[in-house]
Amino acid sequence: MTSGGEAILFWVLAPMAVAGSLGLVFARKAVHAALGMALTMIVLGVFYLAQGADFLGVIQIFVYTGAVMMLFLFVVMLVGVDSSDSIVETLKGQRAATVVLSLGLGVLLAGALGRVTIGDAPADKVHALNAQNGNVSGVAELIFGRYVWVFEATSALLITAALAAMVLAHRERLGSRPSQRAWSERRIRSGENLAGLPVPGVYARHNAVDTPALLPDGSPSELSVSRVLTARDQVGNATPWVEAEREIERDVSQDRDRDDAAKEDRA
Amino acid sequence: MSNPYVPILFLLALGFVFAAGSVFTSLVVGPKRYNRAKSEPYECGIQPSPRAEGGGRVPIKYFLTAMLFIIFDIESVFLYPFAVAFDQLGLFALVEMVMFIITVFVAYAYVWKRGGLEWD
Amino acid sequence: MSTLLSLHEAAGTFSESALHGIQTLAAEGKDNPRADFSDTPWWLSLVKALIIFVYLLVSTLMVIWFERRVIGRMQQRPGPNRNGPFGLLQTLADGMKAMLKEDNTPAKADRFVFTLAPLITATMCFIGFAIIPLAGEVSMFGHRTPFQLADSPIAVLFVLAIAGIGIYGVVLAGWSSGSPYPLMGGLRSSAQMISYEIAMGLSLVAVFLYSGSMSTSQIVGSQGSVWYIVPAFFSFFVYVITMVGETNRLPFDLAEGEGELTGGFHTEYGSMRFAMFFLGEYINMFTVAALATTMFLGGWQAPPGIAAINDGMFNEGWWGLLWFTIKLWMFMFVFVWLRGSLPRTRYDQFMRFGWKFLIPATLGWVVLVAFFRGAQNGWFGDAALEIAGRRFPVSSLAIVGLVAVGALAFGWWWDNRAMAREAAANETAPEEIDPYAGGFVVPPLPGQRLRETARVGAPALPEADPVTERPSGPAVFDFTDKEAPRG
Repeated sequence: MTSGGEAILFWVLAPMAVAGSLGLVFARKAVHAALGMALTMIVLGVFYLAQGADFLGVIQIFVYTGAVMMLFLFVVMLVGVDSSDSIVETLKGQRAATVVLSLGLGVLLAGALGRVTIGDAPADKVHALNAQNGNVSGVAELIFGRYVWVFEATSALLITAALAAMVLAHRERLGSRPSQRAWSERRIRSGENLAGLPVPGVYARHNAVDTPALLPDGSPSELSVSRVLTARDQVGNATPWVEAEREIERDVSQDRDRDDAAKEDRA
Repeated sequence: MSNPYVPILFLLALGFVFAAGSVFTSLVVGPKRYNRAKSEPYECGIQPSPRAEGGGRVPIKYFLTAMLFIIFDIESVFLYPFAVAFDQLGLFALVEMVMFIITVFVAYAYVWKRGGLEWD
Repeated sequence: MSTLLSLHEAAGTFSESALHGIQTLAAEGKDNPRADFSDTPWWLSLVKALIIFVYLLVSTLMVIWFERRVIGRMQQRPGPNRNGPFGLLQTLADGMKAMLKEDNTPAKADRFVFTLAPLITATMCFIGFAIIPLAGEVSMFGHRTPFQLADSPIAVLFVLAIAGIGIYGVVLAGWSSGSPYPLMGGLRSSAQMISYEIAMGLSLVAVFLYSGSMSTSQIVGSQGSVWYIVPAFFSFFVYVITMVGETNRLPFDLAEGEGELTGGFHTEYGSMRFAMFFLGEYINMFTVAALATTMFLGGWQAPPGIAAINDGMFNEGWWGLLWFTIKLWMFMFVFVWLRGSLPRTRYDQFMRFGWKFLIPATLGWVVLVAFFRGAQNGWFGDAALEIAGRRFPVSSLAIVGLVAVGALAFGWWWDNRAMAREAAANETAPEEIDPYAGGFVVPPLPGQRLRETARVGAPALPEADPVTERPSGPAVFDFTDKEAPRG
């Protein structure tokens, strides 16, 4: 049932899928590779939809694009994009295993395709089944009927995934985390900085958090700048603003002196 | 109409043409005045933080969230056909599903107990 | 009581007319769509796509104005009222202004992805609406066609899948800006969206249990007698919460907490590329609200009382568009109302609520509904009670009873615990206190006596002058000391 519409769909989408997978292999930035993979996944989902496998197609998009690729994206951002790849192979003989498995997959695919194209074509069977039973109901009857053990085994797989995620990615807290209330109580007890730390400097020409505030005596307050900025050596310098202020003060006092002198002269 | 999804492509095309068209128009119509400060990252006026080219690192907590999301996503994917075909499937499927949910709930309880659901 | 009666009446007329005026069952399969597209040529689909597109754009223009006006009312100010009648053209003016702004790309941005992200958001937000039935069967250019662009056995899942792709726009925008605030905002909001997507998907399962299909026309059609908000009330409750979380609206707009993250993932965006995110946010609001209308409020069907008038004359054809739009805008008002009255939640509270309450509670609810449906199907025995002409299976009554008893027991236990905790917290109130104990004068609580101070010859307390007697505390704050804990 290769109608004209289906052919167009194939020739538009198949190159996109291939381009996506090539992008996955050759993209230099890891995020671009992940995007290429997401594109391939979506196109595959559209193919399923077009072939009458509605549920499978939407789940392909829902789970792979929505969840798995999101995980990949997070991981890519997690490791930092500039981190260099380690060349050392941690799994011995993985290349050989990869070749064998790929060949096996190829043979399987060729066999399945050959059965479809050479044997009796079951392409229309899907549509007939969809019309008779409903696509989703058909899938449900398979999952909860013939493949019930596989389905129950999936739950074990999900438990394993949860365990693995916790073991790999969870950082256990040693003590309990002080709450906002605890911080506040500690501050009151110690009797220092009761109203919180001083806020950073706000000047007419510079209102950023990285410039320390000036204390009443004109010295900059280290406490007013966030620790993080200090550690990153990102703290701005208050000296120009202090000097500008001194200058103005000097001008004002000189003016006042001059005025006083003028008054005295007149007197 | 042979395929029910073709009309969706029409809407997709309309949406894309509209989005791309307005972004392109603003590129053409809008002014262009180069300014070095303008193309720096916006950090409320402080000196831009030094960070790795193309993105720094993010907390591992997000990985955990995405992983848990996948687990529950897959669980809900099984729930959909179950719910749709509920009447045909019969009591046996209900028992199966309850067992499945309980098993996944064990994983959930474990993650909760270990503090995997806390954010701080 | 009268509403109940009219509901019952409407149910009667509906089951009689068996969805009079709607489509015949297209296929035998129970979960296949009921909408019949056989009399819909491709150009008509294109026309419908155009109508939906314009409907969405106009609704967006309207809702932004609506939001600003209503919030203005809530804050006792007029809101935008200069451009056009009642300020209706304000949004259009804002859009034009965005168009004429400079489209700046930061130097550190990934140029390709930076442009791709808003396009993804703006494109994906439209197509979720394709499967929403805006009305029943209408006649257009001489053809009878359902007023919905497409339908399929997995229509509702399709919306969820599209929402999943839409998240890419957010996370990619955050990443590609090459700037810390957008990165954090993008990650936060994508984590927020995926967390609430689970609860959202689970809440819909209860509806599928009742409707036996995920096709939107089937779901609307099977709500002829009772809207699903009644049997699946908890699902509705969860859905409404998650739909606010999913669209990043107040009180859940943590991704753009201005105090901490400036603008969130779109901090670096300006001009039309920013406008695309803005558009996406509002159209997403419409999509989730339209889904809520379709799933829980009977879609385009007239409200129960009106549906019964004159043999359902207001319940077919183009009238559906009116009811649908009214229901949609009710949700819009709720969105605005929430924004006008609630402060933003904290991120950890928000995530805790999603993961520790919404998900397990919704799962439990789904199991409960499944058992209830099983009881209705007679899987747990055929015994039934006849009350007021309706048949209630004993097993479903038993389930309801069990749940009620469980809820009562839980409430009792919870109250007891709360009371015990309260008692524990208020226990330490000695009968006699020393007013100067902590260095500051402390007034006594009701029923407490003041202890005589230890100082010999101290005058009776009322005569004491607390101002002069006050012990000297740290009067001058010493900022040169080591840093105190922040927080």
